Amino acid sequence: MAITPLSSPFFNDKEQDNGKDAEYAVFLKGITKIFPNGTVANHDVTLGILKGEVHAILGENGAGKTTLMRIISGILKPDSGEILIDGKPVRIRDPMEASRLGIGMVHQHFTLIPEFTVRENIALVLATSGWLNLKKVDEKITSVSKSMGLEIDPDSKIESLPIGKRQQVEILRLLCQDVKILILDEPTSVLTPIEVDSFFRMIRDLKSSGKTIVLITHKMKEALQISDRITVLRAGRVIKTIPTSEANEALLASLVVEGMIPATVVRRGTPGAPVLRVESLRVSDDRGRPAVDGLSLVVRSGEIVGIAGVAGNGQKELVEAITGLRRVESGTVRLALHDITNKPTRFIIERGISYIPEDRLHRGVILTMGVHENLALKCIGKPPMSRKSVIDRGLVLRNAENLISRFSIKVPDPCTSVENLSGGNIQKLIVARELSNGGEVLIAEQPTAGLDIKASEAVHQELVALRSKGIGILLVSSDLDEIIKLSDRICVIFGGRIVGEFVPENLDIERLSRLMLGAE
Amino acid sequence: MIEWAVLIGLAAATLRVAAPLLLASLGETIAERGGLLNLGIQGAMLLGAFSAFIGAYFTGSLWIGLVSAIVGGVLATLLFGVLVVSLDLDHVVSGLAINLLASGLTLYFTRVLFTGGVSPYLGELFGPLPIPILSQIPVLGEVLFSQTGFVYLGLISVPLVYMLLTKTTFGIRLRAIGEDPVTASYLGINVVKMRYAALFAEGMLAGLAGGLLTISMFNTFDTRIVAARGFVAVSIVILGRWNPWGVLAGSLLFGFTEALSLRIGIIFPELSGASTIQLFALLPYLVALVALVAGGRRVRGPASLGKRIGKQ
Ligand SMILES: Nc1ncnc2c1ncn2[C@@H]1O[C@H](COP(=O)(O)OP(=O)(O)OP(=O)(O)O)[C@@H](O)[C@H]1O
Ligand SMILES: [Mg+2]
Repeated sequence: MAITPLSSPFFNDKEQDNGKDAEYAVFLKGITKIFPNGTVANHDVTLGILKGEVHAILGENGAGKTTLMRIISGILKPDSGEILIDGKPVRIRDPMEASRLGIGMVHQHFTLIPEFTVRENIALVLATSGWLNLKKVDEKITSVSKSMGLEIDPDSKIESLPIGKRQQVEILRLLCQDVKILILDEPTSVLTPIEVDSFFRMIRDLKSSGKTIVLITHKMKEALQISDRITVLRAGRVIKTIPTSEANEALLASLVVEGMIPATVVRRGTPGAPVLRVESLRVSDDRGRPAVDGLSLVVRSGEIVGIAGVAGNGQKELVEAITGLRRVESGTVRLALHDITNKPTRFIIERGISYIPEDRLHRGVILTMGVHENLALKCIGKPPMSRKSVIDRGLVLRNAENLISRFSIKVPDPCTSVENLSGGNIQKLIVARELSNGGEVLIAEQPTAGLDIKASEAVHQELVALRSKGIGILLVSSDLDEIIKLSDRICVIFGGRIVGEFVPENLDIERLSRLMLGAE
Repeated sequence: MIEWAVLIGLAAATLRVAAPLLLASLGETIAERGGLLNLGIQGAMLLGAFSAFIGAYFTGSLWIGLVSAIVGGVLATLLFGVLVVSLDLDHVVSGLAINLLASGLTLYFTRVLFTGGVSPYLGELFGPLPIPILSQIPVLGEVLFSQTGFVYLGLISVPLVYMLLTKTTFGIRLRAIGEDPVTASYLGINVVKMRYAALFAEGMLAGLAGGLLTISMFNTFDTRIVAARGFVAVSIVILGRWNPWGVLAGSLLFGFTEALSLRIGIIFPELSGASTIQLFALLPYLVALVALVAGGRRVRGPASLGKRIGKQ
């Protein structure tokens, strides 16, 4: 705790540092990881995490950030290299071993069992004896959440909790295990701006209580705001480790991505006739409570309409109702001339709605199928992809190669199964499929969550290009910057209703935030 | 007017016939809660039945028969474990392969060991074991407390399996694996070890369920002795919604229809001898079908049930 980031040793991968120094909570020495399919995910990575610091890790999609952290937390084994904890060399055989060493990780995709309650999820890792001692688990939960100022009901089922709360449960679970080093893999990509603020407050509290934190993020702003030091990875190697006080956004961007990032020049669109028309829509959530409450909305062709709002205000249900995934109770959804209210999803897709879902792993891809097959999913049943029910395999493959290069998806080969892709690359795949699918309307739900700056820019450019082609886009995003940058109109959603509308030219951010919180 | 004695007899027979189904489906519940869809339970029961018979016949001891029933059942489920847990092969295909292997093996050895391929009869059986005092209670004593040890074992296993699944560390971890084995492994749960343990427990119960047929019910062995009881056990698990108490109810339902179909001639004497009575033998399977259609809709089992983990 006595170490301040400024006085800490400044080094990069070239420097010889033996890491025996007990100043380091974790010291990685020459870590190399090669996957069976030949992907070199980490190459001779040398990296020290100081005790009590917040260490941010930046890097493109597929740079090897997650892989490196999985090695520290005992899920993957390095092919070569050494790990030192508190200056002592260790072999971390499995996650149990890691947690005994005081290391815990919150994964990019959460590791809570949705069917279980908070208590059960925590008992899962705490229990040591044969009989479950739920009372003891409860005591631990109460004492830890009190010290962290968290309000979590141990009886609530995970599937009924919003994402922000689930993340708190993940962290709570690690704290119940008494970990000293917390590794957080893209914790903010699922959070709204307000949730991010309270999340950062929690990180600061954790730091002041003596924990060491490793934070993976794609957002430079966040890294600059919260961390003490920053390490940049590119293509599996450490490019540089620098104290945050010496960093700025431009410097970091140039370290993360080789060469220049093309900045999207967003001119406003020229809206035409309405293509998507939602009228007095009422939809219930999973528990039968009204989620969308008499909402009306119009998207015109050649226009991006941004939906700004705190998660859990009906965005999810609105999108599901439009795409036919949830029953509409009253009101109508019209797509140009067609009434698509409560129509089968297939019908809706064929009438021209494309959809980039927030829950990519379950709604966006079939994990065990190949990249090429996933890219063809939406058009595989029709000519030219298939004739007389026979699939043209060559075309499926060419289509995949085409999209892979156009959207620069990082895959070893087009037939790898999707489960081998990094989180960001899975998103690129979905975006590629949906954007190439044609249609008059695109529903984009958190389209750049978890994407690196280059990939986010690419997605933004594609969205803008589609708009110029006359497609109407409904953009639902918790990233306010993204909404402001792209939208021709911004609708604020609160309590299942549109409570305000802005055009970006005369935007009153103060008022927008107040509306998002329902303060007007 | 149906007589009391007939009804009491029907109730007692229900429990007797339900016992093998109950033991087997409790075993299958444990496996399925861990995500393992083991259709090979049919083969495990058959091996249990066969090894129980062999053990009892050649040593003359029913108790050795009992132990070998367990050994036979466990061998079958552990083989399933090798295919599904260690090699990550398809659950259904592996289960069916074990069933084929079990019927092939038992057929071969009955031919080799016994002249004419017909198993001889055992000298004795595990008979009813009336519980002192309790068995004197009118009606209840006859129905519940004058049964074989296997019936008692099955009934006692219901709360035991329930507690195993809900009140122990093993149970909560097994259920987590059943929901999502990859997540469970990220949490440091040894998925392979846990799944083998679950299969070991299933093997013991399935072996006993099979052994019961030869050393307590029919006192001989035939390769068709298990009939479709293994598959019925799998449907009972679905019907009972992966809950031991539900499984008890399901087993009793099947036990009842089977007992009824055996007694239909006694209850309705005017039907006896008619060829329609053969149709009643179908009753349990018909009930299985109807019950699955009616009760099996909208149920959600363990999320990873029957799924391969895939390459990690
Ligand atoms: N199990 C696996 N088998 C084969 N290759 C893999 C596997 N897991 C990851 N990879 C590959 O290793 C590389 C690094 O992946 P990793 O998940 O560490 O990236 P990342 O930096 O976390 O990216 P993102 O920001 O997209 O999450 C990628 O090219 C990925 O495709
Ligand atoms: Mg990652």
